Amino acid sequence: MGPYHAIMVHFPVALWTVASGIICFRALSDGPLARAFDRVLVSLLLLGVATGLVSYTLGLLVWPPDTLQTTPLGRNHMIAASWSLCSWAAVLFLRWRVGEHVWEGITNRLIMVGLGALGASQLAATGTLGGHLHGAPAYLSELMRVFGWDVYQTFYLPTWVLAVLAVVIVAMPALAIVTTRGRAARLRGPGAGR
Amino acid sequence: MLRRRTAILVVTELFMAALLLSLVTHSSGVVHNDAARNIWIPPELTMPVQLQVAYNDERIFFRYRWPAKQPHVLTDLLRYSDGKWQRQLRTPVGSDPDGIYEDRLAMMVDDGSVPEFQRYGGYITVGADMRDFTGSGADAAHRRKYLPASRSDPGDWYSIVDARTLDAQRRAGYFLDLWHWRAHLSNPLGRSDDQHIAWYRLYDSGEPLSVGNWDADSGQPRWMFDPARDGVRALRWEDVAAGHGDVRGPYYLSAATAVPFDAAHEWREGDVIPGQVLREPSGSRDEIRVQGQGRWAGGQWDVTLVRALDTGHPLEDKVLRDQGVYSIALSVHRDARASRWHYVSLPLQLGLGRQAELMATRFTGDTPDWDRVDPLELTLFYPGQVSWKHLSSARHAGSKYIAKGVPVKYRHKERQLAQYGVEIEFDREIRRHWALSLVAGVLLVASFVFSVSLLFRHRGD
Repeated sequence: MGPYHAIMVHFPVALWTVASGIICFRALSDGPLARAFDRVLVSLLLLGVATGLVSYTLGLLVWPPDTLQTTPLGRNHMIAASWSLCSWAAVLFLRWRVGEHVWEGITNRLIMVGLGALGASQLAATGTLGGHLHGAPAYLSELMRVFGWDVYQTFYLPTWVLAVLAVVIVAMPALAIVTTRGRAARLRGPGAGR
Repeated sequence: MLRRRTAILVVTELFMAALLLSLVTHSSGVVHNDAARNIWIPPELTMPVQLQVAYNDERIFFRYRWPAKQPHVLTDLLRYSDGKWQRQLRTPVGSDPDGIYEDRLAMMVDDGSVPEFQRYGGYITVGADMRDFTGSGADAAHRRKYLPASRSDPGDWYSIVDARTLDAQRRAGYFLDLWHWRAHLSNPLGRSDDQHIAWYRLYDSGEPLSVGNWDADSGQPRWMFDPARDGVRALRWEDVAAGHGDVRGPYYLSAATAVPFDAAHEWREGDVIPGQVLREPSGSRDEIRVQGQGRWAGGQWDVTLVRALDTGHPLEDKVLRDQGVYSIALSVHRDARASRWHYVSLPLQLGLGRQAELMATRFTGDTPDWDRVDPLELTLFYPGQVSWKHLSSARHAGSKYIAKGVPVKYRHKERQLAQYGVEIEFDREIRRHWALSLVAGVLLVASFVFSVSLLFRHRGD
């Protein structure tokens, strides 16, 4: 499945790279061209996630699971691919769910740009690691090393950090829910509408 | 109650802090030394060795230089402790805490008769469940290096082919010559031990370089230092422990100078006598000499080994010829480490007057002028517990390349192999943490986006 995986990954790479550009452009501009690009963002992201899913599935079939998960490069490629797919699916969800309000105010725009940058960097890491696995290492891996990730070392987190992440994972939506409910209660309250 | 804008900022900061924390702490918290599992990870995973090679019509010279914080020149000690003599022979897991293990340098040599060696180096000699591997069992002491074709199943140490086949393999040159320089057990004699690897790690024929000094029947040494010559009968434990071995004083016993052990002497707690007595070797065991002296100075060993191109022992030594290309691989033990806690090189092609990764310099006269011999900087690496059985199995993603004969250097670098060597020692733990980290990362992104999607103003607001 290796060759098919290599062919297929071109689609999400291209779509998500264009999406990154659109996100940056739209974050900087409210002009008609930026708005026009933004109108196709959901479609682009949807196509990207769909082709990304196919690529991901084909990638899982290149080697038996045990083989892929025994090599640090394989593990890193898999973790980066999973996170890329997840990040871009998250951007898709946010843009679809919130609509054009994602461009409202500087904070929202920065969050969109941040998510786009996260997805793009994970995509670059995934591609670099795929190149390594394919026998074509790129100098980008040296750059990743400068940023603290040696591609020959499996990316995993110590137990205490996993515990911290678990708390953060629960705390963020809890905070959001409490805040939105509080706001809804305030709006429904006796003084609401005055 | 938080306002919506404040909540967005708090959630975003939590998300970014979690990402930053993950980036800073990743790949930590799992790898640790564990003597019960025979696991000890060296602080430095790679080390440099400088190699120069020169030859004339009759002999070949290898000059090796490598860094070592201090020389470790003692091994196998007999110690007077608790009112009796005891043997201190032990194989430490990692660095010996008392610094009692000699520095060593070994070199495997092949002439092309072991084709896998040229591509994969010493990895081919490491079978499954080798001595000092995790879980190899108490009966593994004898499970040492061997060549794959000496077994009907290369992954099964005990499936040795019949003697007739082994003899035929030997005549066909299916063995690796093994030069083995030892700071205690060969260097003082100006020799390197001479071994070879075939169905087992074997000694060349001839008298060995040392004999045991431990008399098991009487429970005491056989020989001791000559007080008239050396000024002492024994060394002191406090002088030799923690790597304080001093090459300037007496540190080895030789058959030529040792005197019979004096049981009537009033021995003191902490007296120490070497457990081996060095003596002149003979036959094929006596072919590799140290040119000048193997010396440690200024944080570096400088050792030159010399051997006849053709020793006349073609079933134990590889014959080297002008215009020939050979494969070699080095290993170094330093910092009082033994067994598998060494650094190894990838295979290296050596050309005698022919183009190769390292071209030996031809010279005339008795000794080479090293200033005219180009040095090659090699990187040696800690190999971990990677066996040939694992590398050839479907679990290794590169096994299909091995089956096609693709050399290890095409796919791997030394730094990479060192890292892999460490990770395979913690494979189960790392896989578990990696899988949890993968899921945690996905949930973190999903949680953040879900949270901000609640907090952002919506179409219907």
